[in-house]
Amino acid sequence: MLELVDITLAAPGRTLVRGLSARVGAGEVLAVMGESGSGKSSLLAWLCGTLAPGLAASGTVRLDGREIQDLPTVQRRVGILFQDDLLFPHLSVHGNLLFALPAGERAARLVRAEAALAGAGLAGYGPRLPHTLSGGQRARVSVLRALLAEPRALLLDEPFSRLDLPLRERFRAFVFERLRTMGIPAVLVTHDAHDIPPGAQRIDLAGEGGDA
Amino acid sequence: MAWLVPAVLFALPLLAALGWALAGAIDPVAWQHLAHDPALRPSLALSLWVGFAATAVSLGLTLWLVTRVHGQPAWARLERSLGALLAVPHAAFAVGLALLLMPSGLLARLIAPLANWAAPPDVATVHDPLGLALIGGLVLKEVPFLIWNVVAQIRPVAQAERLRMQLQAAQAMGYSVASAWWRIVWPQLLPRLALPLLAVWAYGLTVVDMALVLGPTRPPTLAVLAWQWLLDAGEAANRQGAAAALLLAGVMAAGALLAALGWRAARGPLLRRCVRGDRPARAVRLAATPVLAAGALLYAGAIGLLLFVSVASVWTFPALWPQQTTLDAWVLVAGSLRSVGVTLVLGLAASATGVVLAVAWLETTPAAWDRRAAPLVFAPMLVPGVLLVVGLYRLALALDLDGSLSGLWLAHSLFTTPYAWVALAPAYRGFDPRYAQTAQALGRNSAAFLWRVKWPMLLAPIASAAAIAFAVGVTQYLSTQFVGAGRHATVTTEALTLAAGGPRGVMAAFALVQALLPALAFGVARALGRAQARRFGAGHEAGAVA
Repeated sequence: MLELVDITLAAPGRTLVRGLSARVGAGEVLAVMGESGSGKSSLLAWLCGTLAPGLAASGTVRLDGREIQDLPTVQRRVGILFQDDLLFPHLSVHGNLLFALPAGERAARLVRAEAALAGAGLAGYGPRLPHTLSGGQRARVSVLRALLAEPRALLLDEPFSRLDLPLRERFRAFVFERLRTMGIPAVLVTHDAHDIPPGAQRIDLAGEGGDA
Repeated sequence: MAWLVPAVLFALPLLAALGWALAGAIDPVAWQHLAHDPALRPSLALSLWVGFAATAVSLGLTLWLVTRVHGQPAWARLERSLGALLAVPHAAFAVGLALLLMPSGLLARLIAPLANWAAPPDVATVHDPLGLALIGGLVLKEVPFLIWNVVAQIRPVAQAERLRMQLQAAQAMGYSVASAWWRIVWPQLLPRLALPLLAVWAYGLTVVDMALVLGPTRPPTLAVLAWQWLLDAGEAANRQGAAAALLLAGVMAAGALLAALGWRAARGPLLRRCVRGDRPARAVRLAATPVLAAGALLYAGAIGLLLFVSVASVWTFPALWPQQTTLDAWVLVAGSLRSVGVTLVLGLAASATGVVLAVAWLETTPAAWDRRAAPLVFAPMLVPGVLLVVGLYRLALALDLDGSLSGLWLAHSLFTTPYAWVALAPAYRGFDPRYAQTAQALGRNSAAFLWRVKWPMLLAPIASAAAIAFAVGVTQYLSTQFVGAGRHATVTTEALTLAAGGPRGVMAAFALVQALLPALAFGVARALGRAQARRFGAGHEAGAVA
């Protein structure tokens, strides 16, 4: 369970988000919409622990009952997916997935990575370098990588916006299905209402000095 | 076919010089003399040690500093200061550092009250047999150069954003920032730093000017020995010098090949380590700020000391300040205004040539050609200067330009052009092509587009490239001495000649002038860049593709 309590975000001279509260259960999605500059990505950055200097934030974030807003990013266990897949270009698909997996015996970790790939229809793609994959394949690998790190919540920063329409629909289904199966709460930032899965909570940020 | 003009103007004389350099160095008798010279082995060993140590320490410090400081407030200050640090010529810095480190230098004077020294300590802190002073000087000059290359890789908006998100993604997976740098960023960046690293290795192995001021003397490094043989009046010694220079080039190439093979062998295991999944707890970390502050102090001390020494008349040990001052050294510098004038004229002509050739190439060729041209463009940076000047001298002789200012202009331009190209290419190649389409759609021809749109928008990078090329031109020593046949003195040749035992005050004054000229050029370039930023608004990156 991810709980946001009375979150306020401010840039110099204006408030981006005021008094935002929400509870996102296991496998549920909180969709955050709003115009450019309304503070959507800043909200995710704060939840992740990487708020840009110059912005101020207050409020409480609880993840499975534990307050995390003051923890460093590496201790929050909050995963993030961006518009770009951000696969590490110097590592193979296996390398990217192993990077995310916790330490352990290499063979066992490879089995986990390969199982994840097989579950995503990418069996045998492990040795390939990211630039040899299609956009959709890269997108799926980036989701697998984020999930193999065993996050307790996932932040989605417009991860569907760069994909073409048919691919986008398949990729949305792929992501939300996995979130549901793994019981991971997610916060989705998007411009497109079609990206929001059925049953998701939705918050619109007013932007330009307005309040949430 | 317009691309042929810059290509031919640069490549023909360079290839001719390289050919003549090789021809001059391939003489079996000279190689026999070289092989039997008792100084060869210790000098070569010393050169290898200096080159390897300077490269390894510079790389290690660069990796550590960038990992530690990137993303911190100190990073912006470091980025801003790089231009100033790079603008300090090697020779002037070496002279200042020598004055700082020598037994009667400022550091010893600062320690003297604590150590009860009434006389300078009897320790070889400069010209030490292990070459530590030379290695230190090289490291202090090369670390800013390597960091500048890292910045060039990660500064463009798209790359900076990608880096930020990659670091964020790795942190979200539980890795510390430092871990993310070592496992994600450096494996991507290091291959792109291969050429700058090669340049650092080549320079450390073959440097002459800094080695004359800071390096060991008995024996000196092989590059200095080769230089002495080349300047010898006897032709046999000249040929032996050319052979030694070629040997250095071979050693440099062999070292580069070994490094490439080593990287290829180590890459797999290193990448496997990167993905083993452990998230090491934050270890005790050395603070980078004191290291940066110490580096800045050494630079400020070395250059500031040039001013003090240039006006010191009586300055007994261990006094911290000169007891008596004089302007005699500056009167002498003013009396040899011709050397300042020659330096300025040559620097301006060679930098203008370099920028024009670079712009002509970049304007008339597709970006894909840069890779093919790179080996030739980088040749003047990588081929040992002591070898290349042999060919340049023969080229000047063939063109009847030896000992003339035109010959020096040609020789200096071959060194300034690659730097202008390297400095300008990222901005020029990154210029948004839609501006050209827009200008065409508005009915403007190519000339109008270049003069009224593209070059004004690229004014800051062009000015910056010109400043870098000017600094390279001003600091030319080997080519000035050799191609100029000793007939044309510049502030660089004056400072280095005096470093061999001339009056310290005059040496310091010439070294300071040598340092001030590039600083002036960088100041002008920076002012132009700021003016452009004000005109185009903050965040503008010279028309770069977003």
